[in-house]
Amino acid sequence: MRPALPPVLSRLWALMRPHRLWMAGGAALALLAALAAIGLMAVSGWFIAVMALAGASGAAINYFTPAAAIRAFAILRSGARYGERVVTHEATLRGLTGLRAWLFRRLIPLAPARLSALRSGELFARLRADIDALEHFYLAVGVPASVALLSVAMALMLTAIVLPAAALPLLLGTLLAAVVLPLWIERRAARDAQQTVLDAAALRGLLLDALRGHSELLAWGAVAAHNSRLESLAARLDIRRTRLDQLQAVGGGLAGLFAQLSLLAVLVAGLAAVHSGALAPPELVMLTLLTLALFEAIAPLAEALAQWRATTLAGERVFDLADTPPVFIEPAPGTPLPQRCDIGFENARLRYAPHLPWALDGVDLVLAAGARVAVVGVSGAGKSSLLAALLKFYPLQQGRVLFGGASVAELPGDALRRRIAVIAQQTTLFDLSLLDNLLLAAPEASAGQIERAVSLAQLDAFVASLPQGYDTVLGEGGARVSGGEARRIVIARALLQDAPVLVLDEPTEGLDARTARDLYTALDAAGRDRTLLLITHRLSGLERLVDEVVVMDAGRIRTRAPVGEYLAGERGG
Amino acid sequence: MRRSDLSAGEWLRRQARQLRAPLARSGLLTGLQALTLVAQAWLLSGILTATVFAHAPLARLWPQWLALLVLAPLRLVLGMGARRSAFRAAQRLGASLRARVLRGAQALGPYGLRAQASGDLITRLVDGIDAVLAYFARYLPQAAAAALIPPVLAAFVFPADWLSGLILLLTAPLIPLFMMLVGKAAAQASERRHGQLRRLGAAFIEALGGLVALRQMGAAGAFAERLDAESEAYRALTMQVLRVAFLSALVLEFFATVSIAVVAVLIGFRLLWGELPLRAGLFVLLLAPEFYLPLRALGGLRHTRMDALAAAQELLALDAVAPEAAAPPRAVHAPHEAAPQIRFEGVGYEHGGRAAALSECSFTVPARAVTALVGASGAGKTTLLSVLLGFAAPYTGHVWIDGAELSELDVAQWRARVAWVPQQAHVFEGSVRDNLLLAAPGADAAALRRAADRSGLSAVLERLPHGWETPLGERGLGLSGGELQRLALARALLREQARVWLLDEPTAHLDGAGAQAVEETIRAAAETRTVLLVAHRLSAVRAADRVVVLGGGRVIEQGPPLELARARGGYAELLQAEQP
Repeated sequence: MRPALPPVLSRLWALMRPHRLWMAGGAALALLAALAAIGLMAVSGWFIAVMALAGASGAAINYFTPAAAIRAFAILRSGARYGERVVTHEATLRGLTGLRAWLFRRLIPLAPARLSALRSGELFARLRADIDALEHFYLAVGVPASVALLSVAMALMLTAIVLPAAALPLLLGTLLAAVVLPLWIERRAARDAQQTVLDAAALRGLLLDALRGHSELLAWGAVAAHNSRLESLAARLDIRRTRLDQLQAVGGGLAGLFAQLSLLAVLVAGLAAVHSGALAPPELVMLTLLTLALFEAIAPLAEALAQWRATTLAGERVFDLADTPPVFIEPAPGTPLPQRCDIGFENARLRYAPHLPWALDGVDLVLAAGARVAVVGVSGAGKSSLLAALLKFYPLQQGRVLFGGASVAELPGDALRRRIAVIAQQTTLFDLSLLDNLLLAAPEASAGQIERAVSLAQLDAFVASLPQGYDTVLGEGGARVSGGEARRIVIARALLQDAPVLVLDEPTEGLDARTARDLYTALDAAGRDRTLLLITHRLSGLERLVDEVVVMDAGRIRTRAPVGEYLAGERGG
Repeated sequence: MRRSDLSAGEWLRRQARQLRAPLARSGLLTGLQALTLVAQAWLLSGILTATVFAHAPLARLWPQWLALLVLAPLRLVLGMGARRSAFRAAQRLGASLRARVLRGAQALGPYGLRAQASGDLITRLVDGIDAVLAYFARYLPQAAAAALIPPVLAAFVFPADWLSGLILLLTAPLIPLFMMLVGKAAAQASERRHGQLRRLGAAFIEALGGLVALRQMGAAGAFAERLDAESEAYRALTMQVLRVAFLSALVLEFFATVSIAVVAVLIGFRLLWGELPLRAGLFVLLLAPEFYLPLRALGGLRHTRMDALAAAQELLALDAVAPEAAAPPRAVHAPHEAAPQIRFEGVGYEHGGRAAALSECSFTVPARAVTALVGASGAGKTTLLSVLLGFAAPYTGHVWIDGAELSELDVAQWRARVAWVPQQAHVFEGSVRDNLLLAAPGADAAALRRAADRSGLSAVLERLPHGWETPLGERGLGLSGGELQRLALARALLREQARVWLLDEPTAHLDGAGAQAVEETIRAAAETRTVLLVAHRLSAVRAADRVVVLGGGRVIEQGPPLELARARGGYAELLQAEQP
């Protein structure tokens, strides 16, 4: 029967299975190296004693075999040690690389509904540091533990044959050093080890704030205060790490102490046996050196176990995140999308948490294919929630959202979103070239299509001004372009997606009036044969883009009217 | 950027100078530990010799046995002491280094920082410092042990058996020699690996921050593949480094192990020929592995040194940035409390060749009035605010604050008089309250309430599950654009004592009613303050007393809005554009 593993370990094992040959190979080489080291010392001790006795008595002796064995053990040990290192590291690196990508892919369907509570600094900590920590399971615990177990077993067998009286003390000593001591260390270190993981993640978060919010901290004269918060956290972390190191030192030292005590016990049994003639003296020398070498293989365990809780916690954090269920269960792959692209909301109710007010409170809205509609209303009226529900980012508590007559809950999300191009309120650009940023939503776009989208978004002059043109790298989050330019890049990107539905969420925010007007003209042209949904609180220029206006308030649709009528009413009232 | 006059190794050595005393202490303890080792080997070889030749019982050997019993805990205590002293000192040094490097990063200023990927910087500040710390705490003490223990042991091996002593002494220097030869190649690989690690960190943090946008575009899968490729490159580079590092370890292991074997065999034959006493032979055999152990351990830590060197390469650039504290005291004029008049005189600024440069900007921002900066996006409006906040130093011209030059003022005191609403406010980790209090740590509940009321944040707070205590996600996740804007406004309004307001599009993302309320707040504040606001929309300029029109980094036009509207210049043109 297989022993029951902690859940984290069995999960990890399931993911590491493809690399099990590498892992087993590494452990086997480690065992070989350890046994060769023990063999080298044991045989050397025996050989010296035998040679000394032969020299004293003048007896003949076959010294070729043991001398060759010593040389063989020496070479075997060096080679196996090198092989062990390369193979175990290959195994962990392969495993962890795959694991990181696996976790990232698990995160994709969780955004945004399930991830909004976590900051990217925290997510980053889990993807980087937590996954890195998992190598500890194999490299620092798994391999040494199996090596220790097997070498102890073999050493004990040999001792039991040669000198049965020494087997029991040796068993006790190895039990203390390889089992009791590591477990004790593990328990003593638990709290600090866990807290270091959490503190280190918090430290990354504070650092991210210090760097990204630097201008604000400067403006408020709060740099020093934030830094001292950071430093006191770092100091706490340092104290815990020092305590852990101390504990590891105790572990390593006590393992050495147990080695000495076991040696003394073996001597007691051995001296009596030699005195009574039950044991040949060279064999006692062999056992002595074997005991010393055996404990070299056990010693690393106690130190490694100080990090055990930190590693299990890192694993739990990784799996907690990975196991978060997405808010939607995707339909079977290949589920077709309807040909039509009319949109409908049927008594849609949505709220982000049970204690929050309804963001959508019974919305009924039909947008025929090709309709051009603006949704207006004060901030918090539910305009953006309408979009979140349509994109299948958040589930409705009641009612349905329909796309082409089918409920979006039953449609494949990615395919659905490919047919809805969104110009979001917050521009998101990546540290890629301008071209790669543009191609994100439409990797197959032709040069002609790109030119057209760029010119529609009024970007031509900007592109022409760039020394490296489309190959210009935009910097982190598009840091190297101005706010207005970033917005127009995002617009060009959305136009390139060539979707039948185009949603604009405050597209002209941050643009000056003229650019905004030109943009509306361009969007008017680009949106000619598309369904166009404009979410805005600005009324100027509306009639240029849409035919109808829907007014939202407190999650409900108040009125729906032709744009002229609505604007006249607004101006009049 | 690399500084040629200071190599990474030199920088590391310079840092490590502070560790001399604790390392010496730890070295002393290590040396004592080596002596206990010698004593143990001598006692044990004595016991074994007695039993091999004389079959002596324990009863005759108990003094040696007891001495071994006493030495065992002594060795434990010495070992722990050595490790403790080295680790503590290294930890302290690491902490001061972290603080210094963070200050170096901050000294790059807002513009310098924006040009750096924060994922990359954090990798440097966290993983880079950890790498250097491992070098101080593990490698250096081990290096000290490797320098100390073998000579001490050799000093005792020689009198016992000169031939074995010679073998040990001849092979020992080969080990560092080979390590050095292999190390040259390894260092380069290690540097490449570090660069890749930083790229990987930056790519991940960016992908996580933009995950919603990626998913919305259906590009998350493609991005995951990009991350796969980056991770795979990192793995390959790491293995490359490790293989070389392990190769140096192999050379080392090989010499160490084969030497032990040669020593053992040679001792055996000389015992057979009666040229050596057994006790000396056993003594040497017991010490031989201990002779090589510190060298082998050092070889095992070889990659620690390479990692630290690569990390140091990244850190020393930040460490070299002069911290602001080193600048001469600028409190020539203590700024006073009333609303000042601000005058720009021929201000020019250029940043990285393109984007929002300024040239020859001259205009006045009167006290107790609202001045609006307008112009097309990219005209340099935000840059002007950055100059005024001291984030960017103009390369020509002057900025006068009530007749005192901005560059002469104590920048911290000047900023203390300013309330600023940036274009995209950063939301800090913490609650709504924490986020507001960052701007005015001493503010009481009443002040918080006033700021919330006047910015419209109160309505947002009612909606939030835990009101003031609601924790905020990244970029204010859970808050809409308008709500975020109100948070930023409230944060600025909390600085009630500020007599200068710099507002970068304060009404962006706000609906008509919300914007109007904010405009009223601004008007009222202007009675006792100097207000400079940046606006893309002329509707936001309704409340302004004066308008400055920027175009291509220059002042095109300025004056009261009504006058400008009649003048048919740039302002009139903008106005025209805004007409529906």
